[in-house]
Amino acid sequence: MNRPAVIERGAMTTVIALTLVFGLFFVLPFAGLVERAIEDGNTFDLWRTEQVRDALFLSFWTSTLSVALAILFGTPVAYVLARSRFRGKALIDALVDLPIVLPPTVAGVALLTAFGRRGLIGQPLDNWTGLTLGFSTTAVVMAQTLVSAPFYVRAAKGGIEAIDPQLERVAYTLGASRVRTFFRVVAPQARPSLIAGIILSWSRAMGELGATLIFAGNLQGKTQTMPLAIIQAFEGSSLGLSGAVALSLILLIVALVALVIFRALAGRAAPPI
Amino acid sequence: MSLSFSASRRLGAFAYEAALEANEEIVVLFGHSGAGKSITLQMIAGLLRPDSGRIAIDGVPAFDSANRIDLPPQRRNVGYVVQDLALFPHMTVAENVAFGLPRSSLQRSRVAGLLDLLQLKELERRRPPSLSGGQQQRVALARALARDTRLLLLDEPFSALDESLRAGLRRELLRLRQELGLTILFVTHDLREAHLLADRLAVFDAGHILQFEDRETVFRKPLSRRVAELTGVANIFAANTIATSPDAVAVEVNGLGLNCALPSSPPSPGRAVDIAIRSERVNLRRGRTSESEENLLEARIVEEFAYGATHTLRLEPAGPGPAIEVEIAARPYEVLGVARQRNWLVELPREHLHVMPGNQPSGPPIA
Repeated sequence: MNRPAVIERGAMTTVIALTLVFGLFFVLPFAGLVERAIEDGNTFDLWRTEQVRDALFLSFWTSTLSVALAILFGTPVAYVLARSRFRGKALIDALVDLPIVLPPTVAGVALLTAFGRRGLIGQPLDNWTGLTLGFSTTAVVMAQTLVSAPFYVRAAKGGIEAIDPQLERVAYTLGASRVRTFFRVVAPQARPSLIAGIILSWSRAMGELGATLIFAGNLQGKTQTMPLAIIQAFEGSSLGLSGAVALSLILLIVALVALVIFRALAGRAAPPI
Repeated sequence: MSLSFSASRRLGAFAYEAALEANEEIVVLFGHSGAGKSITLQMIAGLLRPDSGRIAIDGVPAFDSANRIDLPPQRRNVGYVVQDLALFPHMTVAENVAFGLPRSSLQRSRVAGLLDLLQLKELERRRPPSLSGGQQQRVALARALARDTRLLLLDEPFSALDESLRAGLRRELLRLRQELGLTILFVTHDLREAHLLADRLAVFDAGHILQFEDRETVFRKPLSRRVAELTGVANIFAANTIATSPDAVAVEVNGLGLNCALPSSPPSPGRAVDIAIRSERVNLRRGRTSESEENLLEARIVEEFAYGATHTLRLEPAGPGPAIEVEIAARPYEVLGVARQRNWLVELPREHLHVMPGNQPSGPPIA
């Protein structure tokens, strides 16, 4: 009886076929993008326009700042959520995940109602200090942080949870403070998760569109990030579809290069385990 | 190095209250899981706060509820080794050992000394996941000793290892205690391990210490039926006191008269008592040498278990008397020809018949 072998081969063929179809589905859109860009031929001319340079530069540094904020504020939150048990923890967990499941446009509206000129905090802030947050570069960073930080917190929490708490307890008995224990024992072991979280949230921030559009607007050089520039191009600026294609390709290449470099740097610094 | 400890704590339905002290010796905390052994170590290490009590290490209070003293674990300087060892997997052996030491010129020589002491010199650049269980164990010990610690708290450190490795590590521990003058609190639920290592033994049950005395006393003269059960006494009989003389207590078990060793506080006649005798203290004989011999009963082997080095026999009495469990080493088993003979005269030597207060509740069954 060689029927089991036949079944094995059938299963293998199915897996390969499914993988190929799925792979094509992901590769084809990018192939289309590249083909269109080559056909048009003005991708590299666009690179030199001020609008694209502004948008790319703005996207890059606001995303990086958003991730820095996510690390600064999100790491303690991730640690507490991973290590402690308290009443209502499930609720906090759900709140942290909320921006992941919400459409970014909802996040934008929410930000506007809180920090906009007429908002919950925004109005008193405007009255007392004359400071407005909406439609500024600060608003871009706020929108990106809100939608991208949960990805970092999520990944960091998972990474910390996977570490045996006994390691920390033993470190305390060896004289290490909580802070030293975190940096010498917890962080090095959670490193792969922390890096994954950084990459996820940075990518999310780079791609942020909905919340930024509503809360920060679309002002070139001030709040117009790459995704906003693409939308503008697509919706009938002087650039048209070919402009959107070119901008998309530029964003794709820059993001890809940045991620590859980051991964290489982070990977090299990690000790071999 | 001396330790004095007394603490109480409520943990839900579980009430913990215990006191003990140790002074350059190995004190084994023995009992089932959940009896309060590990909690004791955590309280001493500063990882679990008692509701009330006092803990002093070398006379210096580490915890004192009356004076609101509660040193954090960082300042107690105790070596704490747990069952899964908790080695830092991303650090080398040398880095693990050096973790508790301040960066200084002395650090290097101190680490080198510890690696020598525990025979880890060749492994110093390896990382824990690449080491064998026994090697990891020695790294954990070296790390715990690094800060010139004289008080070691070991929470079932050998239980994840093979029996062959455990024997070597137990010897290692006895050597370290000797060389460094350590005070060691050792948690285990393994009777053989407890017997081998203990200078003194604290028997834990349901959050309390039932008996805390030197090893021989606990094993030979358990304070209660529960201690006898926990320390592996196979023969425990409910009995009635008949008479007390200056050199023995006469009791009756299932209609059989027995003379027992005189306890420190002899029971009055008529009192219910429990009698304990370890299965390895019971003798099997072919016949009487004289009619005046005491504590003999005829019995028949009904069940038999061969453990290799020893045989455990269960015997039912032919006349009055209790059922008896006998443990006999492999060699005498063969010489006596136990395999071919089922009916024996069982002797319960008076000096090994231990009298305990009777009518006590026995605990949950011993696994």
